[in-house]
Amino acid sequence: MWDALIITPFVNALLFIYNLVGQNFGLAIILFTLLIRLITHPLMVKQIKGAKAMQELQKNEKWLKIQEKYKNDREKLAQEQMALYRELGINPFASCLPTLIQFPIIIGLYQSLIIALASTPIELLNLIRHIYPALLKVEALIPLNSQFLWMDLGLPERLALPFLPVGIPILAIVVTVTTYLQGKLMTPPSANPKDQSAMFSNMMNLYMPFLMGYLALTLASGLALYFVVSNLIGILQYAMLGQLNWQNILPKRASEKPSKAGAKK
Amino acid sequence: MRRWSKIFWFASMVLIASLLGGCAGTLASSSWPGVTVVDETAYVAYGNHVFAIRTSDGSMIWRFPEKAEGQRLFFAAPAIADGHLVVGDYLAVLHSLDPQTGQEQWTFTGAQGRWIASPLVLDSRIYAPNADHHLYALDLQGNLLWKFQASKALWSQPVSDGRRIYQASMDHFLYALDPSSGQKIWARDLGGAVIYSPVLSEEGVIYVSTLARNVLAIRAEDGSVVWQKAFEHNFWSQPLLHGDRLYLGDLGGKVYAISTQDGAVIWENTVGEPLTGAPTWMDGQIVFTTENGKVVAYSETGEQKWTVTLEGKLYNGPVVANDHLLVGITQGKVLVQALTSGGQQAWAFEPPK
Repeated sequence: MWDALIITPFVNALLFIYNLVGQNFGLAIILFTLLIRLITHPLMVKQIKGAKAMQELQKNEKWLKIQEKYKNDREKLAQEQMALYRELGINPFASCLPTLIQFPIIIGLYQSLIIALASTPIELLNLIRHIYPALLKVEALIPLNSQFLWMDLGLPERLALPFLPVGIPILAIVVTVTTYLQGKLMTPPSANPKDQSAMFSNMMNLYMPFLMGYLALTLASGLALYFVVSNLIGILQYAMLGQLNWQNILPKRASEKPSKAGAKK
Repeated sequence: MRRWSKIFWFASMVLIASLLGGCAGTLASSSWPGVTVVDETAYVAYGNHVFAIRTSDGSMIWRFPEKAEGQRLFFAAPAIADGHLVVGDYLAVLHSLDPQTGQEQWTFTGAQGRWIASPLVLDSRIYAPNADHHLYALDLQGNLLWKFQASKALWSQPVSDGRRIYQASMDHFLYALDPSSGQKIWARDLGGAVIYSPVLSEEGVIYVSTLARNVLAIRAEDGSVVWQKAFEHNFWSQPLLHGDRLYLGDLGGKVYAISTQDGAVIWENTVGEPLTGAPTWMDGQIVFTTENGKVVAYSETGEQKWTVTLEGKLYNGPVVANDHLLVGITQGKVLVQALTSGGQQAWAFEPPK
């Protein structure tokens, strides 16, 4: 079911693009990722708006009052929160639902890339079975041209330089940096940096780049390329919506610090 | 509370890592066992080891390496030459082992890609095709003599008539090379990628099946096409040449006997499951394997004689060892199953943990 509805159409779309761009698999990955992110862009906008509304609610006077008033009565607190949502016209699930819809699409995109990057016999047999014969000709398509720039997209990437004994994992470094930037730029400023969700975000922003960098180092470079493109598109989407939080990466001016601290009080 | 938070983020990272890494799959089941039989010993390359097994009872003689080494995986069928068992791995290393003990004698590390195909040994030379697009010619000490570059990966074992080396490639071409220099003599576009080896007749005709759903007969002398025949489905199999017939099966589940003269179908039969690997000839019957674990024997006239189903997937066809058929199994509990010519199970080899 999952295979027929998501994976197979994605694999065929990816290979169709690959054919369109002159059998350049790297370019096909970039364009396919861009296409999927464009299709899911309206969902992302809804998710951001929903998240922003919930964030602003945290500063609402009524919200703060009921938190304080019913802090020992969870049931009553929930009732009052729901009443406030209705009053302000906020849907608490507005940010979750688009995420839930996007999630299988992103996972499908990732899995279809893995299938298309077949570099061993059984993987290739599996890929052939995903191709719609009416749309694409196996004989013309196989083997896929997995060379892109200096990389074989089916293998982990290393840039070999004549004066160095070992190859440099350029893509893994770029994945680490772009994941770090994405995490920092897309994390909204927290009203209270000591709360649980802010701490969780900070930890994720710190460790996620290394995790993604490690995956890029060990997995096929086609997937690492996808990570980079996906990170850059994510940053671009947030920038277009004016949601980038530059303060997280730019050095804070000395004059800003006390005033911000004061605002929290 | 801080402790719980730490546990939560750590669990999240592990979950993300396993989702992303797990989706990418493992190389462990990326190909099928390569089986080579020499006298009373079967050499089987699969996963982290190369095994030497007695063909009489399936007992293990040795394995290499004794301790598994992560991504070092073996799938190409080993080749034997004057006291050298030559086998390549997925980390681009070609090993020479002592066939008696499994001790490593030398390694060749000059290739850049995986060793997916089995090498060919001819006149004290090793011709080893690699996924880095090159065919490497080595002497028996592992020294590089020459290399020939195709434009895509080489996944099939070369064949030779003693005068030339014939190498089929994923780049759709069949190449004829001079064995002493690696110089290209001719190249023929086959119209599709070749996964399994071609077969060469004593009359100097090369028969090859391709992913373009066709079988071709090519004259070894000049590379001209004698005939070519289109079929309904793709081939993930190698033809068996016996007498004046070729036997092969397709991914659509059909087996064929075709004439070597003109490619005309003499008989066909339906198995109903994807046929994979090279069929073999034993005691007047042709034995095919299917991807889903079925071993099917047909008579020369196309009547099904027996069938047996094994647990696991079959991609490489049976290999004859004395009175037995040895079937290498992918993703099964058993790695090699020995069958009698009537299809009864004789012994099974299960790799030790």
